[in-house]
Amino acid sequence: MSTTAALIGAEPREVESRDVSVPVFADRNAAYYGSVFERLQKGELPFWHMNLAGLLIPWVWSAWRGVWLMFWVSLALDMIGLVCLMQNFKYGPLLADAHLDPSANAILIERYTRWLSVYNNVGIATLILGRLLIGLQANRWYFRQYSKWRIDGHTAHGVVARRVLIAALILVLVAPITLYRATQQRIDERACFNQVRAIDGTQRLLSRYGVTEVSDLTSALADRRDRLVTERATLEASASLTDDQKGRLAEIRREERQLRRENDAVEDFKAVSAKDRFDCLFIDDFPTLARIDPPEDVTYRRVPDEDAIAQGRSGATKVITQVKDPVEGRTVNIFTYTAESIDIGINFLRAQYAGIFDALTNVLRQSLIRVEVAFMLTPWPVLVGLAMILAWAYCGTGTVVFVGASLTFLAVFELWQIAMQTMALVVVATAICIFVGLPVGIWMAKNRIANWITEPILDVMQTIPSLSYLVPAVAFFGISQPPAVLATVVFAIPPMVKLTALGIRQVPQSTKEAALAFGASERQLLTKVELPMAVPSIMAGLNQTIMLALSMATISAFIGAEGLGAIVTAALGDAQAGKGLLAGIAIALVAMVIDRILKGIRSSLSRI
Amino acid sequence: MSVVEVDGVWKIFGDKSAEAIAAVRGEGLGKAEVLDRFGAIIGVKDASFTVEEGEIFCLMGLSGSGKSTLVRHINRLIEPTTGTIRILGEDIGAMSSEALRALRAEKIGMVFQNMALLPHRSVRDNIGFALELRGKDAYHRAQLADHALETVSLHGYGDRLPSELSGGMQQRVGLARALAADPEILLMDEPFSALDPLIRRNLQNEFLGLSQNLRKTTVFITHDLDEAIRMGDRIGIMNDGEIVQIGTAEDIVTAPADDYVADFVAGISRLKLVSASKIMVAVESHVARHGPIDDAHDYPTARPEDDLDTLVELSTGTELPVLIRHDGGTVGIVTKDTLLHGLQGTEAT
Ligand SMILES: Nc1ncnc2c1ncn2[C@@H]1O[C@H](COP(=O)(O)OP(=O)(O)O)[C@@H](O)[C@H]1O
Ligand SMILES: [Mg+2]
Repeated sequence: MSTTAALIGAEPREVESRDVSVPVFADRNAAYYGSVFERLQKGELPFWHMNLAGLLIPWVWSAWRGVWLMFWVSLALDMIGLVCLMQNFKYGPLLADAHLDPSANAILIERYTRWLSVYNNVGIATLILGRLLIGLQANRWYFRQYSKWRIDGHTAHGVVARRVLIAALILVLVAPITLYRATQQRIDERACFNQVRAIDGTQRLLSRYGVTEVSDLTSALADRRDRLVTERATLEASASLTDDQKGRLAEIRREERQLRRENDAVEDFKAVSAKDRFDCLFIDDFPTLARIDPPEDVTYRRVPDEDAIAQGRSGATKVITQVKDPVEGRTVNIFTYTAESIDIGINFLRAQYAGIFDALTNVLRQSLIRVEVAFMLTPWPVLVGLAMILAWAYCGTGTVVFVGASLTFLAVFELWQIAMQTMALVVVATAICIFVGLPVGIWMAKNRIANWITEPILDVMQTIPSLSYLVPAVAFFGISQPPAVLATVVFAIPPMVKLTALGIRQVPQSTKEAALAFGASERQLLTKVELPMAVPSIMAGLNQTIMLALSMATISAFIGAEGLGAIVTAALGDAQAGKGLLAGIAIALVAMVIDRILKGIRSSLSRI
Repeated sequence: MSVVEVDGVWKIFGDKSAEAIAAVRGEGLGKAEVLDRFGAIIGVKDASFTVEEGEIFCLMGLSGSGKSTLVRHINRLIEPTTGTIRILGEDIGAMSSEALRALRAEKIGMVFQNMALLPHRSVRDNIGFALELRGKDAYHRAQLADHALETVSLHGYGDRLPSELSGGMQQRVGLARALAADPEILLMDEPFSALDPLIRRNLQNEFLGLSQNLRKTTVFITHDLDEAIRMGDRIGIMNDGEIVQIGTAEDIVTAPADDYVADFVAGISRLKLVSASKIMVAVESHVARHGPIDDAHDYPTARPEDDLDTLVELSTGTELPVLIRHDGGTVGIVTKDTLLHGLQGTEAT
């Protein structure tokens, strides 16, 4: 085939002809950069060669030429140096104070002086060395950018004033506040909280007194105090008082007390200086943005339904709703609001669908009991023999020895029965993971939208700390084995789903196409091609799921799971390190035994 | 009735395929412009051809020219944007999905460039795959599979896994799988392209032998003109989704339809392709130029359908031109000059 034929056949692609010479790239001062780049390429540029602009005005130079990495590095280095020097403003006044009484403050003086000298040395060193580094590196960075630009024309090149403007904006945003922060002491933790309260309280008073200005508020408060004082004086002046008048007097005293509090709040508010407000808003913790009324405090309870029972439907129940009065003036932040709403939601679901939750609990409990009985009633020699035969069939002699030793460990330390309880929990949880995870994984692999929905949920499930699962499990199901199983399932299911989906997606398009070409239906494609080819991946997922289930089975001892985990948690409570350690080793051995045997089975499968 | 009839098939990948077709028809847009304007890719552009019973039809073109896309229309792995495909007279665009699956499993076998065997199944189960999909019992499946294995000379390999076989053997399995259900039609998408030259040559020969016996109607795809000429009864040449020429190897080599085809055939040896009738000079014009034929000499003679190779054979060792005789009369004359020009593919002056 001639080259012309190839050219005619290939999609015609215009190779964009672009001038990639240094003058186009550097724009200004091209002669200098031309020679520098040439010497760099030849390896002739001495390492001490300085870019003066990089040394003296690195921010401006790098922004102007679009070497952003250098801009950020030089900015960071300079800021570190300056922040160190700023410590003079922070500790300088303290040192001066201490010097007023040198004998009493000897330790403080020594300490501040030492800190300051360290800060000053580090600061100056960072500034000087940093600038030297930038000056030395500037040309090399710039050359790297040039190489990139030759490949990709969109890379920043030339000199652009707008970039300097952006850099200036960044500086204005970053530098002043950072440097200011360096000069300030740490803000008192309560200060900002009190500030928020004073502002809140004053705001409320403003609306209560129907005024808009704080000065008006002060005078309104003063008016009211004057009136109360006069009234009290008259009352106190009279010789004898009726009961009514006595009551009124007590009320006046109460009002006066409240008035004093209000006055204090207003005084606090006035005392908040602009600097304090600035400090609390910008250099302390992220400010609380919104304080809102808490959600309505509702409790849902399921109680016997008397009416229905009277009508002959025995055992009928209904959900009643109790609303508590809100606490006067209580406002909460968004975190608390959401958390309380979730609590109320869980409470509602728990009361509304009690039947479902109870049924689920029951099914789980029954299956757990069955499996547990199976494990505990099977004589130990049978189980040990089975494990060793499996190890022998699928793994090497080493694994057989290891399995034997591990099981002996369990037997010798009399942990056998307890380990079987753990096993029962793991088996039930894993079975649920397979029954739910496999179809979901298939669905996820086949359906883009399902994938789009499921993927983030699985990610969240995997990243939430395992202990967090225990709380909602308890909220819905109380403390017992079934919620422990559920928490374990939630924790252990993601790898099952993900690796099933992955295995199915990994089936080559061409293989699926071949199956279709021979007349496979969608279902046949799944059962005869995709699932068999996904088996190694699914087995890997199963392995991970079992390991996760085992670790979660331990943790869920906190909410009533029996087994080895319960020993660990009990030991934790009583600070019995030895007991906990032995049980922990037992768990690890069980995990390793299962893992080795499964790995053996998997590799014998993938040999097919 | 042709076994395969492809009629006015267009395939445009992308959302705005209808607009794109209209624009290509109306304004004659090229591939790049369509991509620019509609974000659509021309896969196949107005392809029409037929394949007769027992014929091997080769589709040839550079990679990306739309051969795979076009051949996948024949078993409707790809739906055409417009156009119809008839298999054994039946429009497959109108088939129900069940009928289509039956057609794929029973009437059409397909062989892929990358074999696409199922790695978890034995060779025998791979070959029996189509039969299994149709619900054939295991016993008959195994029998048919073993028979197909014998056909591709892989007797006794039924219990191996595909990964245990070499590339050439895997492709034999691929071929056996396509043959197992004894389909009428074979679709072969660059079946030998991924193989070493020697093995490729072997398989080509074997396949030719096989197809002489089995007489399967075959659509054979290749990007290699030599292969197309060896295998194909007729050849369709594709460029940018369009079939630019259909004809026998000789038609294409002696009368390329455009520069694209001409460039393709430029390097092809014409020895075995071009027949005497294509290059011979009429007796009168020969006489006009070189004088009458002297019957005293013992001229070498050939038939019009003899190829250039034969003429070269006859012309060596003599100064005399070759007489091309047909039905007892001389119909043309091939001198050494004519022969050399014929070999080069240029006109004699
Ligand atoms: N599913 C698809 N989506 C979009 N474009 C495709 C698709 N399949 C093939 N194409 C395009 O169609 C053109 C023809 O491809 P193909 O039929 O594979 O060529 P060949 O088999 O001749 O190498 C190519 O440009 C390719 O990019
Ligand atoms: Mg192809």
